[in-house]
Amino acid sequence: MSYFVVGYFAFLVLGSVLSAHFNRRTPFLLLFSLTLVSFVLGIVGGTDMLRMVAIGAGLLAFAAGVSYSFREFLIVIAPVGVGKELKTAPLTAAFGMFVVFTYIIAAIFAPVIAPYGEAEVISSAYAPADENMLLGADQLGRDMFSRIVYGARNTVGLALAATISAFLIGALAGLLAATKGGWFDQFMGRVADVIMSIPSLIFALLMLSIFGPKTIVIIVAVAIIYSPRVFRLTRAVAGNVVVMDYIEAAKLRGERTWYLIRKEILPNSMAPLIAEFGLEFCFVFLLVAGLSFLGLGIQPPTADWGSMVRENATLISFGDITPLIPAGAIALLTVAVNFVVDWMLFRSSGLKER
Amino acid sequence: MGDILGLVLKRLGLGLVTLFVISIIIFFMVELLPGDIAQAVLGQGATPENLAALRQQMGLDTPAPLRYLGWLAGAVTGDFGTSVVTGERVTSVIGERFQRTLFLAAYAAVIAVPISIALGVIVALLRNSIFDRVANVLTLTSISSPEFFLGYILVLYLAVKTNWFPAISSVSDDMTFWDLLNRTFLPALTLVLVVMAHMMRMTRAAIINLLASPYIEMARLKGTPPWKVIVRHALPNAWAPIINVVALNLAYLITGVVLVEVVFVYPGIGQALVDAVSKRDFPIVQACCLIFAATFILLNLAADVGAILTNPRLRHPK
Repeated sequence: MSYFVVGYFAFLVLGSVLSAHFNRRTPFLLLFSLTLVSFVLGIVGGTDMLRMVAIGAGLLAFAAGVSYSFREFLIVIAPVGVGKELKTAPLTAAFGMFVVFTYIIAAIFAPVIAPYGEAEVISSAYAPADENMLLGADQLGRDMFSRIVYGARNTVGLALAATISAFLIGALAGLLAATKGGWFDQFMGRVADVIMSIPSLIFALLMLSIFGPKTIVIIVAVAIIYSPRVFRLTRAVAGNVVVMDYIEAAKLRGERTWYLIRKEILPNSMAPLIAEFGLEFCFVFLLVAGLSFLGLGIQPPTADWGSMVRENATLISFGDITPLIPAGAIALLTVAVNFVVDWMLFRSSGLKER
Repeated sequence: MGDILGLVLKRLGLGLVTLFVISIIIFFMVELLPGDIAQAVLGQGATPENLAALRQQMGLDTPAPLRYLGWLAGAVTGDFGTSVVTGERVTSVIGERFQRTLFLAAYAAVIAVPISIALGVIVALLRNSIFDRVANVLTLTSISSPEFFLGYILVLYLAVKTNWFPAISSVSDDMTFWDLLNRTFLPALTLVLVVMAHMMRMTRAAIINLLASPYIEMARLKGTPPWKVIVRHALPNAWAPIINVVALNLAYLITGVVLVEVVFVYPGIGQALVDAVSKRDFPIVQACCLIFAATFILLNLAADVGAILTNPRLRHPK
């Protein structure tokens, strides 16, 4: 029994007692279940296991604290209307926003944050971490940390460009199909059906094998693969708007199709489309990461998270977690966006249960 | 019954047409290559004689539609031509690999389907409780992680640090069945984690949707015991969405398997596809794409047919 074990349990029990005394149900439940879990795991795994549980719980609490402060901060600086909306955000959504914010900062200020250039060889291959290199060197002796920071710019930028193009194509086709109707609508629907019946990764691999792994090919391929999903949603949402009386009135006024789309339909179908954009970004991001993991994404020496995992994967067999960091960065951003989207879907309650 | 038969046949026909269109896309997309296939395979430094010889060998001098018909006829009988890089028969390259991939997918499915449906139903019954929220966060995290992230985490903790399972799934024909299960456990577990999260969420949504319907509330109000509400009232209508969920996620396995095979160096068809893509070995790429697409369509078809067959309204027409 070390001081750590005694102190840890004393802290947990004290916390549970205090929260129970002040009638705080949720903190009490959380603290006391943590006590029980630590107790069982402590018996099974000894002090080391207990230490891991404590670190994990501490990290979770830290993340919760950061998200809470970030939400309060946003509420204060946002205009009144937006601030009210933000008050309904759960902690997970606040956490998601905080993570997205961090990634944006990293992507914009990458050259300032990263100590070395992304293609700069500064040491020997797989050199361990020292005071110059926070995370050690990669397979060619480049600084891992700098490459991860630059990766935020390259990987996320590529995924964002691909998502935006998929969205533009899909949304435009969906809006046109909804307003024009008739054979155009039917035709686009069938095209979307066919594209969606090919697995996305397989379709992307087929296109990349033919046109070669260039950035522009990846963007076009992803846009083609994911636009049918956007098309279907836009078609469905806009289809409900098109039958409204004010659209009829605008048509009788003699407005053009483009005016109808821009001024009447689009503003009334924005909310679900924004949520769909987030979801779509997650899918695209995972697909692009998968492609670059397979060596078919952004080509070296540009830093890219997916290919960094693959290139340094040998380190894992020596028990080193460095290759997992870029993979974790991918997962973290996707989780964050998903958390925000989850809240937005919940708020626009028509899609409450998805 | 005639009604159902008609619907099923119509759906099957639609699936066949889709598959036909996709085979056209897969074949003619290669024709879009700048230059032609022979040029792309041999690269810039090819001599005119080599190009002519390869064109002759691949039959590129016949017009594309005729070649398509020949390719389609071959594909239907299981013959996909020869690899342009190694000169082997495509069928001999991917035949055995396809079986291994099917084995891996089936292994993952056998574990994932029962667990995730059970968990999905439990979470749906406990909705909005703390368990539901924790499950929501966990499944969302699992969905958001790339397959290779989960795979390497499992390798790190279950293979490298503890040495419980092998990190690389090399398989040979003379292994016993148990050995095979042990060797392929980590890739299967990776797939299970991804698919399970999807399946749980979809099952939960389907069940909650169902429990919100008025006839369930009626059953509760008239005092039916809770288990009976689930078994007698909810379950008959729940089969259709559940079958749908299972088939859709098995289809999802088809894509996930490519990345997982590469992570664990498992000699399956996904690995063959990735190798062929980087070597620009088009006959193999086309064959793999067609096989994956066909499996995908087949599973989606199974989902639709299953939904039609289990729909009580269609089984007992008025």
